[in-house]
Amino acid sequence: MPSIAEFMQGNHKTCDNDFALTEEAALSGDWEAAQSAFGVFSDEMARHFHMEKVQLFPALMAAGGPGGPVQVMLMEHEQINDLLRQLAAALNSRNAQRYAGISETLLIVMQQHNLKEEQILYPIADRLLAKDSAAMLQRMQAA
Amino acid sequence: MNITSLSTDQAPPISVPLRFFAVAPLFLLLAALMLALSDGNLFAAAQTPALLAATHCITLGFMAMVMMGATQQILPVVIGSPVPASRWVAWFTSVPLGAGTLSLCGGFMLGNAHLLNLAWPLLGTAFLVFIVASMLSLWRASARNVTKTAILLSICALAVAVSLGILLVRGFVTGAVLDYAALSAAHISLALGGWVMLLIVGVSYQVVPMFQITPAYPKWLTAVLAPALFAILLLNLALLLIGAEQLWIASAGISFWLLAAGFALVTLKLQRQRRRKVTDATLSFFRLGMLSLLLAALFYLASLLLPAVALQFRLMSAIAFIAGFAMSLIQGMLYKIIPFLVWFHLFRGGINAVKAGIPNMKEVIPDRLMWWHLWLHGGTLLVALLGPWLSAAAWLTALGLLLQGMLLSYAVFTGIVVYRRTLRRIELLAV
Repeated sequence: MPSIAEFMQGNHKTCDNDFALTEEAALSGDWEAAQSAFGVFSDEMARHFHMEKVQLFPALMAAGGPGGPVQVMLMEHEQINDLLRQLAAALNSRNAQRYAGISETLLIVMQQHNLKEEQILYPIADRLLAKDSAAMLQRMQAA
Repeated sequence: MNITSLSTDQAPPISVPLRFFAVAPLFLLLAALMLALSDGNLFAAAQTPALLAATHCITLGFMAMVMMGATQQILPVVIGSPVPASRWVAWFTSVPLGAGTLSLCGGFMLGNAHLLNLAWPLLGTAFLVFIVASMLSLWRASARNVTKTAILLSICALAVAVSLGILLVRGFVTGAVLDYAALSAAHISLALGGWVMLLIVGVSYQVVPMFQITPAYPKWLTAVLAPALFAILLLNLALLLIGAEQLWIASAGISFWLLAAGFALVTLKLQRQRRRKVTDATLSFFRLGMLSLLLAALFYLASLLLPAVALQFRLMSAIAFIAGFAMSLIQGMLYKIIPFLVWFHLFRGGINAVKAGIPNMKEVIPDRLMWWHLWLHGGTLLVALLGPWLSAAAWLTALGLLLQGMLLSYAVFTGIVVYRRTLRRIELLAV
């Protein structure tokens, strides 16, 4: 069974791949493919944020985890959601140049966010929630 | 464990990294000037005054300037621990580093002892403040990862390299009897092979997969590479200090370069496996850098195999490493870091920032500037590699550096203007 960190890291990877597929389609002008790839990508992102917001972060806080960093992560989710909305607008107006700019920004924001979670927050979660990590993984997958 | 440090406030104010990035390209202009002012064959020996001055202009004024600014920015993200008192540290590193580099290079060019005597306390202060601040940050960090180890070793190597540099300058001024050849070989190997190489290795572990969505570096590599490189450098230092036979020193050299070449090959392979297929100037800078690292290793081996032209190949190896590997990566990174910092700090303007409209990353520094710079940089590198063989190449190298310094200054300046303009729009909305 994977640890929480491994599971969430895998989830980040899935989102990264979906991001790359969407970007490739949009920048090659295949807007139909870009639309459907974006659907998959933004659903995956929403699911990941939901798992953290509803299951992982509250459990972490209840176990005495750090409040400040969790707040920062939630704030960065909002930043990312804002960029996703802008990306959807660029997609709808089929503006490749604008898409490229927002997509580049989203990638870096997303990656530095993931890095902070993977290096710091998830390892803390693994330590604090070690006893019921199996149950946590199940609840996150069901969320 | 300090876990509350993971907050946005741990990112230093934008003025902290930007001052380093704004000043650094000016030293490329100065390096160009020094190359142009030199008379006779610049590459006649490894240590003609003009070459020594121009090299330190690039390694201290440009490379160390950017690397110290970027480290303050990167530590909070990769190890979750900010550099303490970031504004103070920025002042007490950037100013003495800039002033110290100017007096060191002036001292070399003019053969002026007063300038050299002024240089070493200034440079010593800049590096001491930087080393103490970074060590504190590393010591407080909760994260344990391979990047942290590589950065830690890189800073240890820097400490030794700086001490040797000071010893060399002081010896030169006072006329002390020292083994200059051995000490400068150790100084160069720890500064370039230690501080520069290990910092790039540690940062690459994070940013190569991050920018292009590539697989992670293999675990077997990240576990051993940085400690092995560091151990070889220490061994090399010991061999040089005891005056060991060339065979032993060459063995340490070969081991170092084989590992470095391995790192370059693995990085190029990972980049070939990237999921993100769009063209990207930073990626091209990175690939040029890794190819140059391979070339630097080949030139080193050639210098061992062909003793008649060993000096030329040694110089080519150093040029490939400094101009090809380190400068390519540093410039490529700047073109990602500056647009991101501008976006990131403007986004903190909150709802008014969104209303005012924040430029996205591609609206900060135009893509075409980055591509021009890449071609210009590639051209300069080719000409510089001819330098040890063709004395006319020095002039063209100077011209290339001059144009690069101007282009990069313009790019950084553009980023700062975009930031200030947008900030003013946001502030007007807030009134």
